[in-house]
Amino acid sequence: MAEQSPALELKGLTKRYDDGTEALVDFDLVVPDGAFFGLLGPNGAGKTTLISAVCNLIRITSGDVLVFGRPAADLTARSWVGLAEQDINLDRFLTVEETLIYHGGWFGMNRDEAEARAAEMIDVFDLRAKADTRTPKLSGGMRRRLLLARALMHRPRLVILDEPTAGVDFELRHELWRYIRTLHGEGTTILLTTHYLEEAEELCEEIALIRGGRLIARDTSDGLRAHYGAASLADVYVKAMGV
Amino acid sequence: MTGARGLMWLSRREVLRVSKLWTQTVLAPVISSMLFILVFGLALGGRFKQVEGFDYREFIVPGLITMAMVQAAYNNNASSIFQARSDRYINDVLSAPMHAWQMNVGFNVGGFVRALWIGVSLLVLSLPLTGVPVREPLVLIVAVLLALVLFSALGTVVGIFAETFDHHMFVSNVVILPLTFVGGVFYSVDRLGSPWHELSHLNPVFYLVNAVRYGFLGTADVSVWLALGVTAALAIPAYAWSHWLFVTGRKLKD
Repeated sequence: MAEQSPALELKGLTKRYDDGTEALVDFDLVVPDGAFFGLLGPNGAGKTTLISAVCNLIRITSGDVLVFGRPAADLTARSWVGLAEQDINLDRFLTVEETLIYHGGWFGMNRDEAEARAAEMIDVFDLRAKADTRTPKLSGGMRRRLLLARALMHRPRLVILDEPTAGVDFELRHELWRYIRTLHGEGTTILLTTHYLEEAEELCEEIALIRGGRLIARDTSDGLRAHYGAASLADVYVKAMGV
Repeated sequence: MTGARGLMWLSRREVLRVSKLWTQTVLAPVISSMLFILVFGLALGGRFKQVEGFDYREFIVPGLITMAMVQAAYNNNASSIFQARSDRYINDVLSAPMHAWQMNVGFNVGGFVRALWIGVSLLVLSLPLTGVPVREPLVLIVAVLLALVLFSALGTVVGIFAETFDHHMFVSNVVILPLTFVGGVFYSVDRLGSPWHELSHLNPVFYLVNAVRYGFLGTADVSVWLALGVTAALAIPAYAWSHWLFVTGRKLKD
């Protein structure tokens, strides 16, 4: 049953913050299982709020969030989601290896599983030389790698990447995309927000444009260009957002 | 998926934080408390007459151990959860497949363990120096457990509400420390004249100190049942409060 459900389904999702700001208004969205899905919109459009709602990081005002058919607050649904946040949010007391092992632990792994998977992630993200280094001593690029490794540590079915390449150099950005493409090729659903439109165009099978907490458009990159009569996704963005 | 492993690992992380910072979290409070015992109990203790039938050096040990433990439990949890919020790493825990009660327990464990390490260290060090007895071990265990529930939960609550590091230090320095000092750690409240004697009975820490003192010495300024009752009456709502914050996400989630 759960396998046939979309990876993510938002029904009438509304989030009003305590100061009265409406970040999302009656928002509906379906992300199919196995998709590489992009969310584009200006700062304050509601992208991070949407992601936070999926990951139980905000108190939603109304609506439903389903992950593979289960309510997002359900423990099993939570175990299916991996999040790499926009901001670096690492535990300053832990080393690289501990960061991964402890994350695996609170996502239900036993010690052996967590240690083996952490070793794998450390190798994949080229963090071996820094495995015993505490997170505040890592470079910006290393921290970004670790964030992504942590998000993937518990083998989530839905990986949410909130501007994962912000402030990352060209080389690392392409390295990260290469790994994420591989992951997607293995069947993992990817939900991506980015300000790099060329990346969204190149990577995402479908793109949703968000402004003011509302869905403006949703289609493939080609479909959006055709709909807006635009030559590139950047032109689509300019027209859709009224920049 | 029950969240049981998550709870175990979160508890382990909180204990790891205490052990990585052991010079600050355990050694420093043990040294400062031992200095109190050495200076007040041994060096100056001879100037005081016996208190409630005990040498002064014996009399002050229960209160000093209590003071060190409750401050450690409070400070540990307030700073740990404040840092987790400040660094936003708490999102990694909040998004994990754990129940709210498990997150609450996990975050409270660090203060509990740190306080116990301090308490046991002080007991082991002070026993040969002061000869303080442990006459009611069962009462002592219950009193310490209630004290740690109360101050661990209070630390968690303050750590969740604090907007700056100063906020939790304010509660520690301006509320807990003074209440502990005037809660009968260094003297018997029975020796105070009116209105200080009566005012002391309004201080919740007074009951806590007396519950622990009864566990050690078998005597206290008030009934041990009243002391334990008042401490429990504070510990239960404090713990319920921190639990409620995790259940509702207030101040933890926007």
